[in-house]
Amino acid sequence: MSGGGPPRKRNFKIEAFKQRVELDPKYAERTWKVLEHAIHEIYNHNASGLSFEELYRSAYNMVLHKYGEKLYDGLQSTMTRRLKETSKSIETAQGGLFLEELNAKWMEHNKALQMIRDILMYMDRTYVPAAHRTPVHELGLNLWRDHIIHSPMIHRRLLDTLLDLIHRERMGEVINRGLMRSITKMLMDLGPAVYQDDFEKPFLEVSASFYSGESQEFIECCDCGNYLKKAERRINEEMERVSHYLDAGSEVKITSVVEKEMIANHMHRLVHMENSGLVNMLVDDKYEDLGRMYALFRRVPDGLSTIRDVMTSYLRETGKQLVTDPERLKDPVEFVQRLLNEKDKHDKIISVAFGNDKTFQNALNSSFEFFINLNNRSPEFISLYVDDKLRKGLKGATEEDVEVILDKVMMLFRYLQEKDVFEKYYKQHLAKRLLSGKTVSDDAERSMIVKLKTECGYQFTSKLEGMFTDMKTSQDTMQDFYAKKSEELGDGPTLDVHILTTGSWPTQPSPPCNLPTEILTVCEKFRSYYLGTHNGRRLTWQTNMGTADIKATFGKGQKHELNVSTYQMCVLMLFNNADGLTYKDIERDTEIPASDLKRCLQSLACVKGKNVLRKEPMSKDISEDDTFYFNDKFTSKLVKVKIGTVVAQKESEPEKQETRQRVEEDRKPQIEAAIVRIMKSRRVLDHNSIVAEVTKQLQARFLPNPVVIKKRIESLIEREFLERDKVDRKLYRYLA
Amino acid sequence: LGRGNRDKVQQFMTITGASEKVALQALKASDWHLEGAFDFFYSQPQISAVNTRHLEDIFNRYKEPDSDMIMVEGVSQLCNDLQVDPQDIVMLVISWHMKAATMCEFTRQEFIGGLQSIGVDSIEKFRGKLPSLRAELKDDNKFREIYNFAFTWAREKGQKSLSLETAIGMWQLLFAERNWPLLEHWCQFLQVRHNKAISRDTWAQLLEFVKTIDPQLSNYDDEGAWPYLIDEFVEYLTENGFVQRKK
Repeated sequence: MSGGGPPRKRNFKIEAFKQRVELDPKYAERTWKVLEHAIHEIYNHNASGLSFEELYRSAYNMVLHKYGEKLYDGLQSTMTRRLKETSKSIETAQGGLFLEELNAKWMEHNKALQMIRDILMYMDRTYVPAAHRTPVHELGLNLWRDHIIHSPMIHRRLLDTLLDLIHRERMGEVINRGLMRSITKMLMDLGPAVYQDDFEKPFLEVSASFYSGESQEFIECCDCGNYLKKAERRINEEMERVSHYLDAGSEVKITSVVEKEMIANHMHRLVHMENSGLVNMLVDDKYEDLGRMYALFRRVPDGLSTIRDVMTSYLRETGKQLVTDPERLKDPVEFVQRLLNEKDKHDKIISVAFGNDKTFQNALNSSFEFFINLNNRSPEFISLYVDDKLRKGLKGATEEDVEVILDKVMMLFRYLQEKDVFEKYYKQHLAKRLLSGKTVSDDAERSMIVKLKTECGYQFTSKLEGMFTDMKTSQDTMQDFYAKKSEELGDGPTLDVHILTTGSWPTQPSPPCNLPTEILTVCEKFRSYYLGTHNGRRLTWQTNMGTADIKATFGKGQKHELNVSTYQMCVLMLFNNADGLTYKDIERDTEIPASDLKRCLQSLACVKGKNVLRKEPMSKDISEDDTFYFNDKFTSKLVKVKIGTVVAQKESEPEKQETRQRVEEDRKPQIEAAIVRIMKSRRVLDHNSIVAEVTKQLQARFLPNPVVIKKRIESLIEREFLERDKVDRKLYRYLA
Repeated sequence: LGRGNRDKVQQFMTITGASEKVALQALKASDWHLEGAFDFFYSQPQISAVNTRHLEDIFNRYKEPDSDMIMVEGVSQLCNDLQVDPQDIVMLVISWHMKAATMCEFTRQEFIGGLQSIGVDSIEKFRGKLPSLRAELKDDNKFREIYNFAFTWAREKGQKSLSLETAIGMWQLLFAERNWPLLEHWCQFLQVRHNKAISRDTWAQLLEFVKTIDPQLSNYDDEGAWPYLIDEFVEYLTENGFVQRKK
């Protein structure tokens, strides 16, 4: 024995067994049997008696000792056998119990599968990936799929059962939705391909033919509104169905089917249905039906454009009739009111039922633009409408009301192609309103001018504004005149002068007219006063535009105040010196032109309630052989009698021709200016391009006629502003 | 001189009215090719100083007694001496050579310059030249120049446009040569529908129309930027069934 020193290190070796220790194959078989038994027990709902730990360990051991394959194959064949039996039991289920049985067995299988997977987890994690085999859970699902769902007896029956239940639900029966949910979820769990191929595709096909049939039936017996209600209901139903027991991905697909079958395939028939189609809905303001149609048609391709097209052609047709109906054209104010009403009506439809859809607004605008311009008197009539409103229609209206109405009129104005024609008439009508003092509100007048200016620029309204300025200045001038000259004037007639700047006002050459002496005197006084302060100006009395208030005493002493035109005053004053006068006398003394004189005498002698003169013979028309007498017997309930004729009204044919001619003349220089502007910048341009550019530049005011443009070009060539290219006749060159 | 060349000399002299000496000169210069000889001849400054006096003489023969212009009477006399109708279109060609500003009037400069341009210094030679002057109308380019010249020449003094009556007269004269089938219709149309003076642009464009558009109007382009008067003429023809246009 040695002693003393530290203990010696010894190499400690654990040696392996000298012979390989193998698991006894019989042991493997035994272990497998245990597991197999366990699987059966699990399927038989006897799992509680099993020890998880033991089973796990058994499986573990098998895998560890390289018996993984045996384990896996055994699992597979056991499950397969099991499922085949399950399949039979499902097949034998009667009628309604089929689905329940299937569902129950599926639940079972899932539960079992979970347990089995837990037990075999080691294999799942080691052997399965290494051997590239399907994991246990997935295996279980695939086996279910292959042996149950795809089993010949079950496959067809399952699909038929599901489709039958859905069909019955569609027909109004109540079905077991929970069960359906379970089944479809099962199909989804088995893989989206299974759900789609074994259920969804056939489901969609069957639905398509179902709805095809149903839609055919409905469309034969329902009117459009009711049909749409049904279609809407069906779509909602399908969406609800999906949310309750189908996979969410099916929603879009099934709603497309319904949309196609019920809506897309019958679109035209619905829209054009007699007595209940789109046009009827529009006419009767059926907001709800229209809203429904919009919502439904929106879902299908070309749905909205179909509605839009039908609406557009209806609007154009109706509008065309409106503007060409001779009855309607008798009263311009009525005419424009009708247009405004139509616009309001359709605006409301678009806002309430079509969700303010811009494309529909555009269709409405283009339709109005189309038919308003079919009647070339539209500009005149719109101006007359405004005139009526500003003269009396807006009496008592609030500022807001005024704005609303004027804005609506502006909307119509925007549709006009010939805005320059409107300008001409507006000027005439405004002049009459201002001069007769017959405007409801100055603010309203100004508001309209502002709107026109915003729309068309200041050039459009500068003259109109000039007219207002003249009125104001005239007021000031009159005040000053009377302040300075009152003693000189004494008891003479009271003069109220409006001084109009030529160029701002639509003046026509004023024919001669002999004013009564008293009037002449005071007029001359005014003239010298005015020219005294405004050197270098020239004043011309516009006797065709004036008015007068005359006091008249009749036979029994009744006094009346007559409001007449200047011409009428001249005629009436003659009767201060004579009881009776012939036409020729009157003509000679007043020198009023024949046509005006005739109109004047007619209004004094032939109008009931206003006949301050008596005519012999008593015919309706004025002839040159008539004689006129002061009508002593004239009576009227009113003290103040209005006989004047200076009110804006629809022009007669010849007047209209004249105005149109003036408009055409005015357009020529505008066209030329545009041509010169364009050529100055482009230098060289071909004919068609010039026409297009000119049209573009002028379209805010009017639509130029290409023939007129051509004539203007030729005129400019004559005057050597342009020349034709020597080689290409179609090309023009600007000459500096 | 060979027989062929002698013939050429004769021909040359007849057509140009030149002397034999000049003919030989021209033909030799062009290697005995007649065409080349003509070119040579016409591009030469024609008359020497001596001949200019002849031209003055001729002018003085026809001019007015109290002004330096040949006026209507002088023109009439000239036509007589040339044995030509004053309405003959060759007068237009002559006026063109003279660059005359107005119908039936020639200034001294215009007249003498014209004679020089034509290449004559006597009335006889002038008479001899008439056929070749007429022949100038057959040349397309010359015809266009003469045609456009006619507008300014036939205008009243101080007017921008040509009076309708005069225009129609000129057209009948000019287009008789060209044989334009629509001439009658054109003149009638103008009298019925237009009845106003003719602008220069319309005048010039009408020639293009005559040259390029066939009498059935099959190649007339509505978008062709023709003057509006021609557009209206086309309408007139179609309305009255004078042409069958394929639309």
